[in-house]
Amino acid sequence: MSPVFTAEGWKALRGAWLVLALAVAAGAVFVYGSHWYGLKEKRDSIAAGRSLEEARARLDRARRERDNLNESADVFRMLVARGLLEREHRLDLVEKVNALRSRHQLFSLDYEIAPQRALPLAGGRVFPSVDVLASRVKLRARALHEGDVLAFIDELSRSRQGFYPVDRCTLRRIAGPADELVAHVEADCTLEWITLRDKAGRHD
Amino acid sequence: MAHFLYLTNSRLVSMATRGKRIAARREFAVSGEGVAEFDAYLATLRTEPVHLLTDLAEEDFRLDTIPHVGSRDRDAILARKLTQMFRNTPFRYAVVQGREPEGRRDDRVLYTAITNPEVLRPWLDVIERLNVPLGGIYSAAVFSSAMLQALDLLFPHALLVTFTPGGAMRQTYFRDQEIKFSRLTPIDPEEGQSLGTLISEETTRTWQYLDSLRHFGEHDRLEVCVMLHAGDRLLVQPSLRDFAQIQHHILDMEGVGAKLGIKPAPLGSTAEEVFVHLFLARPGRNHFASPQMRRFDTLRRARITLRRTAVAVFAACLAWTGWNMDRALATTDQDLRVTRELGMLNQEYDRVTRSMPSFGVGGSTMRDSVAFYNSAIRGFPRVTDFAVALSRVLDRHPEVQLGQLAWLATDDPKATPAIAKLDLKEPPPVRAVTAEAAPARPAQPEAFGGGRYEIALVAGTVHVANNDFRGALADVNRLADELSALPGTRADVVESPLDTASNVQIQGRHSEREPQTMEPRFVLRVVRDHGAAP
Repeated sequence: MSPVFTAEGWKALRGAWLVLALAVAAGAVFVYGSHWYGLKEKRDSIAAGRSLEEARARLDRARRERDNLNESADVFRMLVARGLLEREHRLDLVEKVNALRSRHQLFSLDYEIAPQRALPLAGGRVFPSVDVLASRVKLRARALHEGDVLAFIDELSRSRQGFYPVDRCTLRRIAGPADELVAHVEADCTLEWITLRDKAGRHD
Repeated sequence: MAHFLYLTNSRLVSMATRGKRIAARREFAVSGEGVAEFDAYLATLRTEPVHLLTDLAEEDFRLDTIPHVGSRDRDAILARKLTQMFRNTPFRYAVVQGREPEGRRDDRVLYTAITNPEVLRPWLDVIERLNVPLGGIYSAAVFSSAMLQALDLLFPHALLVTFTPGGAMRQTYFRDQEIKFSRLTPIDPEEGQSLGTLISEETTRTWQYLDSLRHFGEHDRLEVCVMLHAGDRLLVQPSLRDFAQIQHHILDMEGVGAKLGIKPAPLGSTAEEVFVHLFLARPGRNHFASPQMRRFDTLRRARITLRRTAVAVFAACLAWTGWNMDRALATTDQDLRVTRELGMLNQEYDRVTRSMPSFGVGGSTMRDSVAFYNSAIRGFPRVTDFAVALSRVLDRHPEVQLGQLAWLATDDPKATPAIAKLDLKEPPPVRAVTAEAAPARPAQPEAFGGGRYEIALVAGTVHVANNDFRGALADVNRLADELSALPGTRADVVESPLDTASNVQIQGRHSEREPQTMEPRFVLRVVRDHGAAP
């Protein structure tokens, strides 16, 4: 039996064995530590790369948004001027309708303004920053000539305050003597009085 | 560093080496006083491994042959033979030198032993007591075979003559480089006898002995190689006479030193320093020391191996760590670049954000508002535009009288506005009797779209001569065609002045007096697609 593996050998080589064990342990710690550090750096690198890609994408979005906003600034300025982001001023609408009725010499004008509601958009579309609100307005007018009715509707829908898209309208001729000064045309029209509400509440 | 001991019957020479040089030399008398001095001296060198070369008169040599067997059996045979031959000493050794050329081709074996172990005992006791690692005990005579090769003394019959400290002459006979015999003779010249004469007489006596053992053939010549310092050469060489059977060669110590790389060359004719240098260049195998005697050296070498292994493992781990760290740091450098770029991107983002137009609302509010306007309101159709386009076409058809227009803007191309039935003053004499039409499918009013489609029902009458249904149909179809010619517009006759389909009942009611003209009713469905319009 080799003296290395005798009791005397173990005793004599205790220090050397200990040094070897320490070297193996320290080496293993170093290797594992560096391996762990390398993995951590790799993970960090991947995360940093992802952050970089996200930052680039965010910057691209911001640039596109800035360009879009620059392009949209004039439009938005017009929308603000027309009160799209303001709450309804119903008295203004009542006065406007009355004024237009007189201007276009309508024989009669009946209208209803329904309570304001959230306007459902086609395809269930929603906007993250604004609520689309609308009040449905129904009009029934009688006039001497269909031109008067059309002019009334056209001027209402082209109003400089608010948006009033007419989505349905029926014009029909009323039977009667053509040479008398009575209503010859009757119109039933429906339109949406649309306003927007900022979800952040920065506008009324 | 190593420590060599060269033991003769009268002297122990200690030579401590550093690298390939002898750094310290000291001699001790073979006596109790010498052992005590050696004890004290060795205590200062106790960590260095000791190699003990013996050059003793008590060393015996015997030749033998054994059957050629496997190594394990051979070792057993040799051990048994050694025990039989040298029963009283543990310092025994056997070396297999070759095989017989004829017969069973047995192995040729040389057995050697220090027959009186007591000459070694005092020195080994000191070594053992001081726990000095003993590398081995070597027979200088056996080891001298390496000298023949190193000095190119490749004669068929060579007698190597060396001198030992303490005044003795070693003669070792080699046949074809295999040691066959060795003997130690004290140098004790008689009155009037020179060293050269003594050497000559001793070598002649050795030749005679070997010849009596039939080592030589008729024409064989013994080459006697005498290792001498230049200072002794002049004293020796004149006395050496060559014969047909004996040829002398003087190995000058300077020349030997130059050939073996010994610097400086030994200052005397004794060969112990040559052996030490030869051993440093070509370490020999242990001859006489048992594993028990060598245990401290075994442990020392194991300790060195363990430490070297530890260093190697640690170095390998450090290298591996370095490789890992190099890769990690390369990644770190890349991360730093990414971080710098990230910082620049964030700065640019802040700058872009600050440069965005603001109306007191968030950018998203502005974007959504404009998006809603562009998608839902901007291109929303107007009934007045439709009416104007319709009027322009109707102007080219004075025979057509418009009675009713039902219009709607929707995203549903199949939607149809409701229309009221026209009451005719004078119904035409022939008319189709149809089942009640299915109610129109109104557009869903809840969902507000962009108004891609304008859908209208145009109801009216066409003024034609009485019973000219063909003309009325042509007029209405022409009107529909002209409306279809408008961009993105398609007009279909929903209700014809006279439905002539085979599955429809037709009623005619002609009276005695009929008017000159008639005004049959028609309905057109007009669809204007703003998505398809250029």
